[in-house]
Formats: sequence, structure tokens, C-alpha cells
Amino acid sequence: MSIEVSGVNKNYGDFVALEDINLTIPTGQLTALLGPSGGGKTTLLRVIAGLETPDTGSVVIEGKDATSLPVQKRNVGFVFQHYAAFKHLSVAKNVAFGLEIRKRPKAEVAKKVGELLELVHLSQFANRLPSQLSGGQRQRMALARALAIEPSVLLLDEPFGALDAKVRKELRDWLRRLHDEVHVTTVFVTHDQEEALEVADEIVVVNQGGIEQIGTPEQLYDQPANDFVMSFLGDVTTLGGSLIRPHDVEVTPSPISEHSLEGTVSRVLRIGFEVRLTVLTDDGEVVTAELTRTHARALRLEEGANVFVTPTPGAYTMPAPSSAA
Amino acid sequence: MLWFSLLVLIPLVAVIITASSGGWSAFADQLTNEQTASAILLTIRAAIVVTLINVVIGTVIAWVLVRDKFWGKGLLEVIIDIPFALPTIVAGLVLLSLYGAESPLGLHWANTSTSVYLALAFVTLPFVVRMVQPVLEELDADVEEAAASLGASRFTTFWRIILPSLTPAIAAGAALSFARGMGEYGSLVLLSGNLPFKSEVASVRILSAIENDNPEGAAAIAAMLLAVSLAVIVVLDLVQRRMVRRG
Repeated sequence: MSIEVSGVNKNYGDFVALEDINLTIPTGQLTALLGPSGGGKTTLLRVIAGLETPDTGSVVIEGKDATSLPVQKRNVGFVFQHYAAFKHLSVAKNVAFGLEIRKRPKAEVAKKVGELLELVHLSQFANRLPSQLSGGQRQRMALARALAIEPSVLLLDEPFGALDAKVRKELRDWLRRLHDEVHVTTVFVTHDQEEALEVADEIVVVNQGGIEQIGTPEQLYDQPANDFVMSFLGDVTTLGGSLIRPHDVEVTPSPISEHSLEGTVSRVLRIGFEVRLTVLTDDGEVVTAELTRTHARALRLEEGANVFVTPTPGAYTMPAPSSAA
Repeated sequence: MLWFSLLVLIPLVAVIITASSGGWSAFADQLTNEQTASAILLTIRAAIVVTLINVVIGTVIAWVLVRDKFWGKGLLEVIIDIPFALPTIVAGLVLLSLYGAESPLGLHWANTSTSVYLALAFVTLPFVVRMVQPVLEELDADVEEAAASLGASRFTTFWRIILPSLTPAIAAGAALSFARGMGEYGSLVLLSGNLPFKSEVASVRILSAIENDNPEGAAAIAAMLLAVSLAVIVVLDLVQRRMVRRG
């Protein structure tokens, strides 16, 4: 086990940032800390890095108690949301920094920097300044810089948070491929559930200073431990007093089971290939359903139409927390 | 451009023309006058020494103002600007009452060359502080954390990451401080006593040249000060570029 966090508490005045965190992160995996802003995920990452000191508890990295080690001695690579580039140094010098202060021989440093720039596809920009790079390139440089010291763990704090949607998607795929090549234990913080589901081997859902659930993307999506995890990982709606994913709601012109509820289509919203329906059931429940465009067209769905809504067989549902039922 | 020309270029050219009106040898004669040469040397020496002090102390003060929290910080912020805000002759008066013949501190620096250094240090103190402070405030904390995560000690981080980011500001502050030191008059004229070969500075020498109906002499000294100031500004710029690239 690469990182073991046990009994960690951290308060800022009255604010509880982390409450009794126990977490084991396996070696060689890509783990996401997922949660809403202010939920404590960044604080947890910084505690692992040694950039924050926990009030209680311990952090063990690769079997070594790191709780009292300063960040300099932990041998962790840290990547910041806003790149934290050394603005006065060239790209190559940025990457070389960690090796140069370790007084490695010049030739070795040059060789290593060359390899890393190759790895992050920045070889032709070696002599540029960070200000001459795009956001995505700067973040790749920051990653190469963190990898240069051959860290035992790589920690990324919202690494793609400052980038626009397209670049973010590219970098996400690229990070996954990079990880498959380098295999360094990696933990990254994100508030974007799609990013976590797409990239991570394992997801830790962090909320209000505590851990809600740990599991693979499939486990979390298909068997969420509670309504928070369920609604954080994807859209949810209520149907017959239960939480259900809108794409698990079947819409038919006639009832198909005893669970079918009758209602009226109150809104039809077309988003690209998908159609989002709002159905007002006769019991007064508002149900959202997602269909493909073809399917919706075949059913001739329009506002005011009379329909039946039914949970798809095998769909995951859980009791809605605030429902009267 | 026209505004700049009227305000800066034309008067500068006029000074140089006056200085060179008597030809090269007359110009050289004016400057090699023993009393004048001594005044110019004292001015340059004092400006350099005071600027060096400001580079170190000013950076430290800026650092303390930005990074440390302590009681009375707001007050210190205001006090730093007093040498800026004070009319220089008032500064001179203040210094005279503190370090003059009736010094409550027992420091009798009136009529000595020390007084020149003291007065310059007083009036040029804010330059480096005020240039460095905003740059230091804008430095991202994550840059220092990044350096630390790569294994850099606090000293290494300061020396290799923070200081290079500050050098342009330090150099600019130093240039202002030096230029002010070269031309300072009001704050030191009372305390220094203007003793030839001892505590007389170039600006005082210019005034006495004018009073003695020697405009060529005054212009020659002025041109000399101008040349030195320009040279120092160029040197500071070069030093700053090298420091930044050193990394």
C-alpha cells in the first residue's frame, strides 16, 4: 500500500476541514479524490503532500511514517491547478530544477530532462519561457517537473481546472495514457465527476470533511452508498418515491408493469442527441426522463401528451431521502 | 513625444550645449577643479553606498511588510512613506535637530560627510521598498510550495525562485534611489554644512557655480551627474537581466 492516511483531523478555527479520515491508496493506481468545492479534498491532498499539517493522525508513504516529515523530504511530486511555473526559468530549467538542487551531474540532468520533455511532448519548447506556452502546455511542463524527481507518489490538485473544456478532455486522456506508461502512484483532486469516472482506477468521494464512499467508477455509479454519492456522480430524479437515474426511466404510451405511473409531459428539452422530458405524474411527482432523439420521435412525445413512466428493469434505485413515503 | 521633448529632452540638450560651449578643455577644467571633483566624488560614493544599503534593507523591509503579521504594521506602512511625503528641507531640519550640534542622541554628525550618507539614506529609503512590495505581494504561494515539493529548502527557494522574480523591481528601485541620491539637495544642505572637500555635494557645487556667475561650470557638473546616472541605470538594467537569466 502506497499511501496510508489514518485518523486525520484538520480544523481551521471553527471550520472542520477533515474529520477522522482513514484512507488507503494502493500502489501504482490512479486515484481520484472527488467532491464538491470546500469539501476537504484539496486539504486531504495537501496533508498527504506535507503542505498542511494535520491536527491529529498520521500519513504513511510507502511504509515510511511521513507525518512529521516536511514536504521537501517526502519525495512527492505535486502539480498545482494554476501551474506554479517558475516564470523566469525556461521550460527545460523548470523541469531540471528538482535535479539541479539535488546536485546531480549536468549530463544526467540534461538526459533526464530530455526524456521527460519527450514524454510530455514539449521537446521543441525546451528553451521557451512558461509565459510563451498555452495553459495545457504549462500544465504538462509542471507534470514533467514533478516527475523529474522520480517521486514515490504524484499528487495533482485540480490539474485541469484552469483549462477550457476541449483541452481539459485532451489532457485527461493524455494523463490516463501517461499513467499507463509511468505507473507512478497518482492521486488527483477533481470536482468534475465525468473526469473522475473517465480517468481514475479508484474514486474516493469526499464531502464535508469526510469520506462518503471508496470504489471503482463502476461501483460508485452502479451501487452508490448513499444519496449524496448517487446525486454527485450523475443526474438523478425521483420516481415513485425512489431516487433513480433519468436514463433508467422508461417512457411508454401504455402501462408496462404494476410500477408504471401515469402522467403528462410538461416539458420537452432537446440537447444534441438526447431528449430530456419532464413528466408530471397524476400523484403530483415531477419525473425527469432521458431518451434518445430517435426513441422520443418514435413515441411522438410532445408537451401535454399522456404517458406512463416506469423504472427500467434492473435499474438501481434508492429511497429518496426527503420523500414523505 | 512632443510633451516628452518639451519636458525632458530639450532642457537636457540645453544643459549639454552650455556645458560644451567652451570646448572640451574648458569642460574638463571645470570638472578637474579640485573642489568640484571632490564634491562629485563624494556625491557618487554616497549615492552608491546608500543605494546598496537600500537594496538590502529595502528588500528586507518589503519582505517583512508583505510576509509578516505584527502589531503596528499599518503604522509602519505609513511611516515608510514619510521621507517621500516630507518636503526635503523639512527632512533636513528634522535631521539637523536629531544629529546636529544639540543632538539629543549625542550624535554630532553635522558638518561631516556622514551627514551626507545619512540624509541620502533617509530620503531614498522608500524607493526599493515601494518597488519590491507589490511584486512580492503578487508572487503566488504555490510557486514556493512547488519549489519545496521538489526538495528546495527555504533558502534555495528564496535565492533561486523568489529573488530572481524580484530583481527587476529591486533594480528599478535602486535606479530611482541612486538618481535621487545624485541630485539631493534640500535634506542634506542644512546638516552637512557644505564644507569644501569634506561634506560638499555636487548639487551644492552647482548652486555656488551659478551664484558665482559661472553657468558653464554648473552645466559641466550637471552634465557629469547626468552621464553617471545614465551609466548606472544602464548597468543596473544589465545586472538585472543577468540575474534573471542566471536561474
